[in-house]
Amino acid sequence: MFAHNNTEIDYFRMAVVNAMLIKKHLGTDVTVVTDQHSLDYVTQSIPRDQIDLYIDNIILNHKDSEFKHKNTKVYRDTINLQKSLSFYNLDRADAYDISPYDETIMLDADYLILGNTLNSCWGNKNPMMMNYTWQDINFNRKFDLDRLSIASITQYWATVVYFQKSAYAESFFTLCKNVRKNYAYYKNLYRWSGSTFRNDYVFSVAAHMLHGLSDKSLPELPFKLYKSFDFDDIHSVISTEEIIMYLEKHDSPGDFLLTRWSDLDLHVMNKWAINRASSKFLEISL
Amino acid sequence: MSEKLTKALEFANYRATLNNQRAILKARVESLLSYSIDGGTFTIDPGLISFVKTLSDSGLETTVLLDIYKNPIQVDVKDFLTEILSRYTEATNDYHAEYVKLSKARSVKSLLDIDRD
Repeated sequence: MFAHNNTEIDYFRMAVVNAMLIKKHLGTDVTVVTDQHSLDYVTQSIPRDQIDLYIDNIILNHKDSEFKHKNTKVYRDTINLQKSLSFYNLDRADAYDISPYDETIMLDADYLILGNTLNSCWGNKNPMMMNYTWQDINFNRKFDLDRLSIASITQYWATVVYFQKSAYAESFFTLCKNVRKNYAYYKNLYRWSGSTFRNDYVFSVAAHMLHGLSDKSLPELPFKLYKSFDFDDIHSVISTEEIIMYLEKHDSPGDFLLTRWSDLDLHVMNKWAINRASSKFLEISL
Repeated sequence: MSEKLTKALEFANYRATLNNQRAILKARVESLLSYSIDGGTFTIDPGLISFVKTLSDSGLETTVLLDIYKNPIQVDVKDFLTEILSRYTEATNDYHAEYVKLSKARSVKSLLDIDRD
């Protein structure tokens, strides 16, 4: 996992919660790539020995300060709060070089591991997998997030990426680094909009280029990517495999549907919601 | 707002929650019917079970099956059949039990089993 805090969102705390869930459900080693500031901040609220219980390996990266101040995105906490904050995600393309493992599953810290589905990846014949299909857990809603833009290629999600140390994955990440370095050029070529640097776009372009400019050619993970959005919220944490969510109703902003979600991993895009639920998660883990 | 309308809106909310919980249940079953072995992943369905049963009945001990990625995976026929049959039965029984439970629930609170916690 990569976890770089900003002024409001404690990504490292999220990573600690997720590492606890990973230990519980997958039983694998966990490495978190972070920066000194994020690590120092989290140790004010979580004892270092508890962090070390869940995270095997902490790798400290220096933040590029120019990027840190330049790259922002709008974070939402349901309909009630909307803030533009720094979003530090520059080092994701370095995952291949950073990972100490033969096989790696790279995760967003907000992709909560609530079951053992990810264990189905290990030893796969495909050296690399990530999803372009996804499913909103409010099955009535439909968002058009399938392409980088209407006239562009299929969007892969960098939320969960499985890769083996292999020539294939190495080439993929080499391409990612090239796209990262020449982001404005690729943005123009692949015609996406918005000023925020997004790894979803970087990885989508690399996947497209790696297969001779062919769409949807990088194999998907053997499971669906389930998502809730930043206008949803966590109602309560029931256990390490079960949560109840508030899901905003389709076409009715601010109205919610309650949903019990269990055993399947979930991308919870409301970061404040995870931070609020983190104490409960850590409490029930002990 | 009239009492009738309030009840109708409550019922609409209940139906929306029920439909979503049913869709989530389906997603969980789909996940349980995915089986990974020796670097391959298979979706367990009656077609796969019948095919492997046919191979088993013909006396084949090992065979190569194409997984969801069309990658060739060598499997021990008897062990594979036992595993997929067991997983299929377990998943569909679980699905049935949960489906019945949802069908009997008459309010959002009982649909989500909130009192349980």
